[in-house]
Amino acid sequence: MKIQLTVNGSRYEKDVEENRTLLRFLREDLGFTGTKEGCGAGECGACTVFFNGKTVNACMVLAVEADGGSVETIEGEVKDGKFSVIQEAFDRNHGLQCGFCTAGMILSVKELLHRNPKPTEDQIKDGLEGNFCRCTGYTQIIESVLDASGQLPKKGELHHA
Amino acid sequence: MLEKLKAEELRYVGKEARRSEARDKLTGSATYVSDMILPGMLWAQVKKSPHARAKIVKIDTSKAEALYGVRAVLTGAELNYRLGLYVVDKDILAKTEVRHYGEAVAAVAADTLAIAKKAVDLIEVEYEVLKPVLNHMDAMKAEAPLVHPDLGSYDFMKAAFTPQPGTNVANLTKLRKGDVEAGFAEAQWIVEREYTNPSVQHVPMETHVAIVEWKPSDDIVIHTSAQSPFTVRNLFCYTFKLPLNKVRVLIPHVGGGFGGKAGIHIEPLVACLSRKAGGRPVKFQATREEEFSLLPCRSALTYRIKTGVSAEGKILAQKMEMFWDAGAYADYAVNVTRASGYSAAGPYHIPAAWIDAYTVYTNKPYGTAYRGFGHVEFFWGLERHMELVAQAIGMDSLEFRRKNLLVPGNLTLTGEEIFESSGNPRKCLDAVAKSIGYGSLTTEEKAREKRTGRKIGKGVATLHKAPAMPPFTATAAIIKMNSDGTVNVNIGLTEIGQGSTIAFEQIVAERLKFRLDQVKVTIEKDTDRDPYDWQTVASKGLLLTGNACILAADDLLAHAYETSAQALHCQVVDLDHDDKRVFLKHHPNHGVTFTSLALGYAFPDGNAIGGPLIGVGRYVAQGLTNLDKETGQGNPALDWTFGAHGIVVEVDPATGEFHVLKISSAFDVGKVINPESVRGQCIGGMLQGLGTALCEGYIYDEAGHLLNPSFTDNKILTSRDLPDEIECIVVETPQLDGPFGARGVGEHPMISVAPALGNAIQHAVEAELTHMPIRAEDVWRGIRKHEPVDNWITKTPTGSCKSNVLL
Amino acid sequence: MLQSFRYMAPRTRPELLDLLAEYGSRAKLLAGGTDLLVTIRAGVHKPEVVIDLKKVEGFSGLSWSQTDGLVFRPTTTINEVLQDARVRKDYPLLAACAHDLASYQVRNRATVIGNVVNASPCSDMAPALLCLGATAVLSSKSGERRVLFQDFFIGVKRTILRPEEFLERIEIPAASAGVKGDYRKLKRIQGHDLGIVGVAVALKGGKLNIAVSSAAPTPVLVQGLDAGIAVEAAVEAVAKATSPISDVRCTKEYREFMIGTYVRRLLQEVRA
Repeated sequence: MKIQLTVNGSRYEKDVEENRTLLRFLREDLGFTGTKEGCGAGECGACTVFFNGKTVNACMVLAVEADGGSVETIEGEVKDGKFSVIQEAFDRNHGLQCGFCTAGMILSVKELLHRNPKPTEDQIKDGLEGNFCRCTGYTQIIESVLDASGQLPKKGELHHA
Repeated sequence: MLEKLKAEELRYVGKEARRSEARDKLTGSATYVSDMILPGMLWAQVKKSPHARAKIVKIDTSKAEALYGVRAVLTGAELNYRLGLYVVDKDILAKTEVRHYGEAVAAVAADTLAIAKKAVDLIEVEYEVLKPVLNHMDAMKAEAPLVHPDLGSYDFMKAAFTPQPGTNVANLTKLRKGDVEAGFAEAQWIVEREYTNPSVQHVPMETHVAIVEWKPSDDIVIHTSAQSPFTVRNLFCYTFKLPLNKVRVLIPHVGGGFGGKAGIHIEPLVACLSRKAGGRPVKFQATREEEFSLLPCRSALTYRIKTGVSAEGKILAQKMEMFWDAGAYADYAVNVTRASGYSAAGPYHIPAAWIDAYTVYTNKPYGTAYRGFGHVEFFWGLERHMELVAQAIGMDSLEFRRKNLLVPGNLTLTGEEIFESSGNPRKCLDAVAKSIGYGSLTTEEKAREKRTGRKIGKGVATLHKAPAMPPFTATAAIIKMNSDGTVNVNIGLTEIGQGSTIAFEQIVAERLKFRLDQVKVTIEKDTDRDPYDWQTVASKGLLLTGNACILAADDLLAHAYETSAQALHCQVVDLDHDDKRVFLKHHPNHGVTFTSLALGYAFPDGNAIGGPLIGVGRYVAQGLTNLDKETGQGNPALDWTFGAHGIVVEVDPATGEFHVLKISSAFDVGKVINPESVRGQCIGGMLQGLGTALCEGYIYDEAGHLLNPSFTDNKILTSRDLPDEIECIVVETPQLDGPFGARGVGEHPMISVAPALGNAIQHAVEAELTHMPIRAEDVWRGIRKHEPVDNWITKTPTGSCKSNVLL
Repeated sequence: MLQSFRYMAPRTRPELLDLLAEYGSRAKLLAGGTDLLVTIRAGVHKPEVVIDLKKVEGFSGLSWSQTDGLVFRPTTTINEVLQDARVRKDYPLLAACAHDLASYQVRNRATVIGNVVNASPCSDMAPALLCLGATAVLSSKSGERRVLFQDFFIGVKRTILRPEEFLERIEIPAASAGVKGDYRKLKRIQGHDLGIVGVAVALKGGKLNIAVSSAAPTPVLVQGLDAGIAVEAAVEAVAKATSPISDVRCTKEYREFMIGTYVRRLLQEVRA
């Protein structure tokens, strides 16, 4: 089936099999490999993208559903060569380790800050529960979100005994 | 390699620095093997066994082969190769018998993933189902069926391991120190208990994936999401009897490993598919479900400890028996057994010790390395045991621990002497005890108890671990200067998220006296171009590769000085340098720039000297020995990283539900290289440890089917599962042979989280827990003194809701 | 990877009814896809045709009127329910159940109707709908049927829906506005998880409704208890109506205990 859609502001027209997920379509057909597959079953959030303005797990969306729609991926997060406020905050606060959950995580944060520009720590934990991270233990991610929303007066630190 | 530099003289070591590879990861431009599609690439799928133990009667691949687009179909019958890290016991595809649920029996490479999947579905396998042996304690019994009847004919690494042919024992590690019976005879109290935990999955966010191209020339290129490029190459060549220089292993960014990618797994199978398909590259990526049973897990453990204690509360003797569940293949499990064997008593002084540690074959997915290499599992038992012993002898458990901690002059279980510079377990334990206010509840906590009706408990647990590695473990680093004065550093150690890249950049910049932005450690690993490193495991990378980096920096500077001395007509001893130039100490204006030295120094007339500046650093572990196979005595430990956790937990005394209010963790890291990376390891490891403590574990039915091979019923912790408060504490007792005094801390934060929690719960509601994980129901049963429920091999598998099982 | 199927996206209700009449059980309806695509991937469902409901005119959003009450349509998502001011104010039990369903990005796609037609015993939305006296409106070419949710579920993953029928609307009576209620769900972790047991309690006027998930082949409703009923009598009524089992998530014994405990605690909370 032929579909037309917008990805990160650019228009695409492409033939796609009806059983192809949006995730495979983005990664394998369009080359947006920044979006990752962690489970393929809607549990882990590694494939989180914006679809028609809302975050979804791209592994649980059919590419054909995106016909006429718009998608935003991690590749659209740098604007005019500049990192977004969220990306800079993750960089400053070590909000990543292996990096495999990072794309999905950043898009979930973007959605969270869009609906709640000053989230509390609990609201951040709530907003990110659908994005698994096996490396960081989330704390430096949460600090990154607090930093991105101007709510981190002091960076997290190590104490010396 | 300890540099006695004052903290204020250090410019990068111990200072904040952003991760240099973060910006690629933050923009989606970091490439992982998952992302790669090569020209002409085929896609592979695997046919897996639905049975835990069965004879393969017949495999019919004709329908699959007839399918349009199928380029290669393989079964075990045509693959006469055997794999094995320490015991060579595994076929690439099962040949006559399947030994675990999910084992590979056939494989296909095709033009598309869809065709490969369809082809695999068309492969017909006829099995004669046999009764499996699932519980490793059952597998020890004389009448148990043998998982490997031919164990006696397998090759194995004789210096370290002792398989027992005719049994299911893949290895027996023994340790004997002092006179245990005399110790027990003298003891005032003897406490004996048993502790258990099930198998657990690593859950790297990127599942195992490899692309292999086996060209007709027998030159082989392997792109793989693995931790140890040289181990993949080495074991691959051993299996296929190929020269090492014919096989090139490439590792780009890796989406997490945690030990699950330490060895070699799917690469040989994918390679054989490529060879059969005429040399086209073939890609296989495990689904999340396959990650649970086609690929390995962490071993289950049964740990029996018998401790004799004096009237004053000193441990006199300890007898320890470990039964490690290898699953169907030995892989790393035999070495987990060995390393755990010699560490089994924790950071305590045990004058007389007796250990038998068995690795036991069963018909389950096999065990491999997992962050902590056995220590997460046995410390569950050990630190619960310390709590229960203290309770039995009527002593506070913190006091009991303090009384028995290792101090300088003590000998470890293997007879190795502990020095001041070995690290300070006491400081770690005291720090966490103080941080959580161990021993009493604050006014605020008491008020909270009253308000909520829930009980608050506080518990501590210690930990230690040394790298489990051969005594001669080696590595190297190469630093190459570019014509603009920047340098590239090549090492064989892989960045799997642990933050080693930025740490080595800080070390190299510090040692060269360069700016941090002048130094780049290459992310992508390439066995053709990078120098050897044993493996990216064991928390040994920082120490060994860090030292190699220092030596490489020194070597590069020595070459630079030598050329500069000629260029400046002076002696090397009179030279100094900064990040731009080499110059005379006493005439700083008289010097040469690194840009003019980088590719060889040219005099004004065009004559040149020196050549490109390259520094080489080689480092091999010092002072270690093999262990005596009968007594376990010797020097196995490169370094010990000591640590402790303290937990404050709130428990609902009616339901057993609980929540961690605070966790404090302390580690003697020797010297912090990158504070945020250390904190990232502390918290990340702690939460992974908390997952193991709370909910993770494989559940089988009595036929050996894995019932929870997905995130539906095998949960990992989310952001909502964090303790309310987290404190990370470091102690810095410099390691004499550590780079700037540093030692590794990658695995340690995961160790002993579970017993600290179990101890805290016991303090809150008196539940005596001996099985990990600790589910709300386990606490509920513990409070009510009900029989604990052991449903990890369950008699009641069917639920109204259950995971969808993909095979 | 998903097995192959044909994708259809009707634009109108009559087109949809025609497709349903033609394909019946060979078709699966796609709204949020968060259950359907998981089960297709797992090979549980192998539909020949997947019919997307999202392009059908008039199938989205939620509305409220004095006559129909609160109405959900085939593509009303869980997050739409959660973000609705009236739901938060007048139907707190609905919001409590919706919030416990999966993760944020799943709730952006998952629909209320999808959650109930899937008929999982651990459905999070079913307890609220049962307690609040919601009606399911089932449509096919031959007309409409209206049933209460206690008559909708007939077994594990089974409902009274006929192959050519679809659940077009859920109506929650206007009279259920302002019902006091709450939901408790036992999970293995604090993050998103399927319920081990879930208990919802609703108190309106003189009557008490209790609904339980993951405790029987279908979500269960115990309705019309006297509001002042003795706590232990309520616990017993619920125990009688449920039949929990042991499975990989929990034992029967603990499930029974926790259902009783949650009933006690919720009663205390809603009566306070």
